[in-house]
Amino acid sequence: MLTVSDLSVTLPMAGVPVPVLSGVSLTLPRGGSVGLVGESGSGKSMTALAVMGLLPPGARTGGQIGFDGHDLLAAPEAALCALRGRRIGMVFQEPMTALDPLMRIGAQVAEPLRRHLGLSRAAAAARAAALLARVGLAPPRVTPDLYPHQLSGGQRQRVVIAAALACGPDLLIADEPTTALDVTVQAQVLDLLAALTAEAGMALLLITHDLAVVSETVEQVLVMYAGRVVESGSTAAVFARMAHPYTRALFAASPHAAVGDPAPIPGVMPDPRARPPGCAFAPRCARAGGECTRTVPPLLGTDAHRVACFHPHAAR
Amino acid sequence: MKGSAWRSPSLLAGAAITAVMVAVALLSLVWTPYRPTAMDFVHRLAPPSAVHPLGTDSFGRDVLSMIMAGAQSSLTVALIAVAVGAGLGIPLGALAAARAGLLDDLVMRGCDLAFAFPALLTAVMITALAGPGAGNAMLAIGIFNIPVFARVTRGAARGVWAREYVLAARAAGRGDAAISVVHVLPNIAAVLMVQATIQFALAIVADAGLSYVGLGVQPPQPSWGRMLNEAQTFIWRAPLLAIFPGLAIMLAVLGLNLLGDGLQDLLDPRLRRAR
Repeated sequence: MLTVSDLSVTLPMAGVPVPVLSGVSLTLPRGGSVGLVGESGSGKSMTALAVMGLLPPGARTGGQIGFDGHDLLAAPEAALCALRGRRIGMVFQEPMTALDPLMRIGAQVAEPLRRHLGLSRAAAAARAAALLARVGLAPPRVTPDLYPHQLSGGQRQRVVIAAALACGPDLLIADEPTTALDVTVQAQVLDLLAALTAEAGMALLLITHDLAVVSETVEQVLVMYAGRVVESGSTAAVFARMAHPYTRALFAASPHAAVGDPAPIPGVMPDPRARPPGCAFAPRCARAGGECTRTVPPLLGTDAHRVACFHPHAAR
Repeated sequence: MKGSAWRSPSLLAGAAITAVMVAVALLSLVWTPYRPTAMDFVHRLAPPSAVHPLGTDSFGRDVLSMIMAGAQSSLTVALIAVAVGAGLGIPLGALAAARAGLLDDLVMRGCDLAFAFPALLTAVMITALAGPGAGNAMLAIGIFNIPVFARVTRGAARGVWAREYVLAARAAGRGDAAISVVHVLPNIAAVLMVQATIQFALAIVADAGLSYVGLGVQPPQPSWGRMLNEAQTFIWRAPLLAIFPGLAIMLAVLGLNLLGDGLQDLLDPRLRRAR
């Protein structure tokens, strides 16, 4: 249903075009789920914004984003507006800022219903109340006439999820939906997302920096680094092998999955304005050899498992 | 929030003074001690007394009645002028914020151009071209209020456009116009309210200035500016004639400025928290 092929995005930074995504491809079947994993700046959120057609002004794109026969990169703004919120829903990272502070939560959930489904005020309000109840925000504790500041972070994220799901989209993009939440609430929100998408046969594109989060939630994983996919495949295959040194490093750095203390990855991600000519991870990689600093390793393998590395790890 | 309003003396004083001004203006529509245009040549330039609490002017008109009627004309001119400025400036500013790029540059450079002319001079020029009178005074003052509102709206609106809930609204399929109306304007309403209060005070001064030079409300309808003008001739014989309308202007402006300051103090912590 969603097919991203060879997506590249260039953003102007201080007037100079800087590549932020190169050669990103992914396939998300109807009802399927894909996790995009990587550090800050790896390009995972940029991929989501590209799918939504919400890239910052001045962004230049290449490749295709196919969604049910539409090419989203070529679609006019009006067509995208009709698609956003209706067929593609999005949940944002910061529930503190993703809600309008001056608007009652019921109205915020009802907004897309009125906009896309043309429901009357009363019908949209009733539907919004039902949606809020579905995500666990039911009276008497939470009523639709509350304002966002009267809710906790987890409750607000539930409101954001209810609004994103209001029109029954075919695809839900969740950009770090649990990062800003308490650890105790994270699991609840993830379970809720998984349950709702499974129930409605909705495809899920889950973006996170936490490999452990995807291991329990999605069918396929794409590990991104510096704007490229470095490892991809079914969740089982990727976790069984973790062929790319970056995938292993990321896993070791995860507070949930690591055995013993989480190990930070040494070094920092290269500045997108000055990426090394070869593998972008080479400067931080213990296995890097001469060719790693010269050539970008291609993403090779089968649909079940691909890796872009000259010195991949064998099975764990 | 309700509690803190009572702890702000400037807000309270400003609101009280402004309320009195508005009440006096409204009262003058139905009642003034004397008809403000009624002349009484026997009692010209009378000092304040029980019969004429603020005395009479050179035509024997009751100064208190004139000040009351003047309040009404001043507030009306200022209110409509601010409404014109806000009514055109806010949409322009919101549009500029929503559509960055060429349109934004056009609107903002247009504002710069308008700011390059001294406001009162522009108003004098406009009324000189279009003819004196209350209507043209409102228009003239309103026109120089447009860039003020456009600029304040654009600045505040751009801050809101950078918020994630605007991105969320776009992700929900909202167009720019709907986002401006539903999300952006309500979130900058506080800033605009404070600005409108301050512009109201400035418009009263501008109106007094225009009617002082004879370009505002026309005789025989009284106005504070013209009262000042007429008092000039008798400044040594009857200085109170100039002092009373001067005090009225000062009080109206002071009240509105205190109100604006108080509102800003009241709304600021909320703005800071949202940031």
